[in-house]
Amino acid sequence: MLRRLGILMVALSVSLSWAPEASAQASDSSDSSEYLIKAGFIFNFAKFVEWPTTAFAQPDSPIVIGILGMDPFGTIIDQIVQNKKIGARGFVVKRLKWGNDLKDLRDCKILFVSASEKTHIDEVVQIVKGQPVLTVGETPGFAERGGIIRFTVEDNRVRFEVNVDAAHLAELTISSRLLTLARIIQQPAAEVRKPG
Amino acid sequence: MLFNRNHNTGPAMGAGRILLASFLAVCLTTTTEAQTSRSVPDVTAMSMEDLMNMQVTSVSKRTQKVADAAAAIFVITQEDIRRSGATSIPEALRMVPGLQVARIDENKWAIGSRGFNGRFDNKLLVLIDGRSVYTPLFSGVYWNVQDVMLEDVDRIEVIRGPGATLWGANAVDGVINVISKKAKSTQSTVVTAGAGTEERAAGGVRYGSKLGNNTYYRAYAKYFDWGPSAYPSGMTAHDGWDALRGGFRADWTPAGANSLTLQGDLYRSRFDETLTVASLSAPYSNTFPNDGKYSGGNILGRWNHASERSSMSLQMYYDNTTITDPSLFGDHQNILDIDFQHGFHVGDSQQFVWGLGYRSIRDKNDPSFTVSLQPNQVTLNQFSTFLQDEISLVDNRLQITLGSKFERNKFTGFEAEPNARLLWNLTPNQSIWTAVSRAVRTPALTEEGLRLNSAVIPPGTPSNPSPLPAVVAVFGSQQFNSEDLLAYELGYRVQATSNLSLDIATFYNNYSNLRTAEPGTPFVEGSPAPTDIVIPFVAANKMSGGTYGVELFADWKVVPKWRLAGSYSYLQMDIHKNADSQDPTPDNPNGSSPRHQWYLRSSVDLPKHFEQDTTLRFVDHVSSLNLPNYYSLDAHLGWRPITSLELSIGGQNLLDNRHLEFMPDFVNTSPTVVKRSIFGSITVKF
Repeated sequence: MLRRLGILMVALSVSLSWAPEASAQASDSSDSSEYLIKAGFIFNFAKFVEWPTTAFAQPDSPIVIGILGMDPFGTIIDQIVQNKKIGARGFVVKRLKWGNDLKDLRDCKILFVSASEKTHIDEVVQIVKGQPVLTVGETPGFAERGGIIRFTVEDNRVRFEVNVDAAHLAELTISSRLLTLARIIQQPAAEVRKPG
Repeated sequence: MLFNRNHNTGPAMGAGRILLASFLAVCLTTTTEAQTSRSVPDVTAMSMEDLMNMQVTSVSKRTQKVADAAAAIFVITQEDIRRSGATSIPEALRMVPGLQVARIDENKWAIGSRGFNGRFDNKLLVLIDGRSVYTPLFSGVYWNVQDVMLEDVDRIEVIRGPGATLWGANAVDGVINVISKKAKSTQSTVVTAGAGTEERAAGGVRYGSKLGNNTYYRAYAKYFDWGPSAYPSGMTAHDGWDALRGGFRADWTPAGANSLTLQGDLYRSRFDETLTVASLSAPYSNTFPNDGKYSGGNILGRWNHASERSSMSLQMYYDNTTITDPSLFGDHQNILDIDFQHGFHVGDSQQFVWGLGYRSIRDKNDPSFTVSLQPNQVTLNQFSTFLQDEISLVDNRLQITLGSKFERNKFTGFEAEPNARLLWNLTPNQSIWTAVSRAVRTPALTEEGLRLNSAVIPPGTPSNPSPLPAVVAVFGSQQFNSEDLLAYELGYRVQATSNLSLDIATFYNNYSNLRTAEPGTPFVEGSPAPTDIVIPFVAANKMSGGTYGVELFADWKVVPKWRLAGSYSYLQMDIHKNADSQDPTPDNPNGSSPRHQWYLRSSVDLPKHFEQDTTLRFVDHVSSLNLPNYYSLDAHLGWRPITSLELSIGGQNLLDNRHLEFMPDFVNTSPTVVKRSIFGSITVKF
């Protein structure tokens, strides 16, 4: 019995000692953390969404990514966009708190509304209404309630919904490349939004 | 492949070697492809299509879900189930920190949370897609009846500790919630087939499709056949079983606020066991191979209405379970359950939920000499209501949950089960929670009207010098009351880095009115012949005491493709009979649950789409049942050369030939061992 345990342990230690090095091949990666994938999407959103030229002060003004509420990304998103550029624009990541940083919400180009802020979604939508802010959320109903993009996880894979009307209202042009991959959400036309 | 039908150890050991060899082979191939970088994969270089094909690992999903709860909650994901190689719900539950999972024989389990484990454990509530599967017969769960198409499970949520405010009586020490995927997430055909040394054959088919634009559905059928295990002596046992099961789920989600779900299952199962029953004539006790059958079905409908500020749901189900076992007990159970819930926001910081429930149970039983239940036909109606308010304060960093359930049942009348919970997010990455709850375990049918003839003492023996056989019988009692729990819990969670999380839960439970069997006055009984003396033991509520413990869980993603998960749990029980109890069974303050349990699991993603999982588990001895401690090593190797094909081989209990995990209680079936076993399967998706 003991001998067999020994063999097994050797086998395991061999398998474990090799595994870490084998793990960093991003190219054939079929498995990774949810927020790493979502960070990758957010980078792609920046690529395939066009902001009105008036949205930026300078041609090389950075794209500000705001994370409102409890941050599920950790340092991943900072690492992802570090030293990355889209055209002349780099990235800045800001963490925002409900209550304290409300005026900063409008300065974001991409605003990630964390699941912790589920009770404030309507207010967030009101605050950035008419501003060129790409709101991204995760809470069920986010896109129906006026958010622009909502991540979902289906069958262990990340998917997203786009509220085209909300994007239009924010004067954002979303590339068809992005739209063909999205589930399009129609905002109920009759729905009356409460004034904020 | 490595399948074989032989039950002696030789071939299984051989298979074990092949398994090892394959591990080694796979491990060695990795050397040529190894790279050295350890940074975060560059997802910015990937196309959106690539990103959409990436599989999400369970870690963050789990912590997301878990981080919000002021309770000791643990989530088993679909990925966890798949990679554990588990082929049944009880086996999958072994990965829950602190949960006691023990197999009595191949078709019987004892599963308990925070002590009091046993086949008829009555302090755990189990739900499958919102349908309570505890039996009102003994307030426990027939684990061998509970099964689903495991591929269609989204997750299993396990709450250790009381969940009575939301789920009601019997959610005393834990709630297990098996949640299946939406039909929309299972829009493919899956065919799976497997074979192994213990589970000789298993197969399943699921078909998913859509009707029109808004209706998704799936249907499944599955079958398995387990061969017999062995008695502790090594002799082949009589405990095989098989089961055939089928079902469907349809979700209708039109645009707008409403959605409807309809689902149902049908099953039948045949099981073997070795049964010992008492008899009134010599030799006064018979041990024989017995077999029985289970069959049943259920249908459930749920309507959901979600608007901006509120949500409503109405759920209704009907469940039939039939047990046919002429030598012991037959039972026909029909349950109708209606449940309404309404949740809404009050202002910005409060979320209020309330609900109403009605449950009607019709039970009809076929007695034997050993087990009988009075009345043998009964209808129970139970009403319940609950309300709960979740209040968020200080930027959502502080969450207070207050609520209570109120129930009315036939046996004890009105019961209130309040709780107060507090969650404090210290930083975005760590939280501390605490809770005080009251829960009750309402009497089961057996505790009111059971007669169990557990032994016959032959006449003319030292313990029974009379000329008549003496029947030792356990009786239920109309006076039996609810068991009470007052629970105090404290927990801490931290997401230390994006790769490492830790979860600690501690508890102190104070029980009163626990069940004892008090001796009654012996009487002479003329029927059935021959005349005998009955020595009664009557159910009463004369035991109390405390239990405390700690449950740790850590999850460490060492590198993106190697995950380590570990758990340790400690349980101390201090349960004593009250001074006025005359229950002759020796005081057993430690109960029938192990004090220490731990496991360590490694999950590695290897190149060429191989994946390897290894779990080493330790379960402490249980002195009251005379069970030694044991280690169990399970290993699993999976290969998914393309997304639509998976080959999997798993070995369970690789360290020893066999070990005993538990002993039966009340019904005297012969316990059997858990052997070393190998199971291989192929799954095709299209």
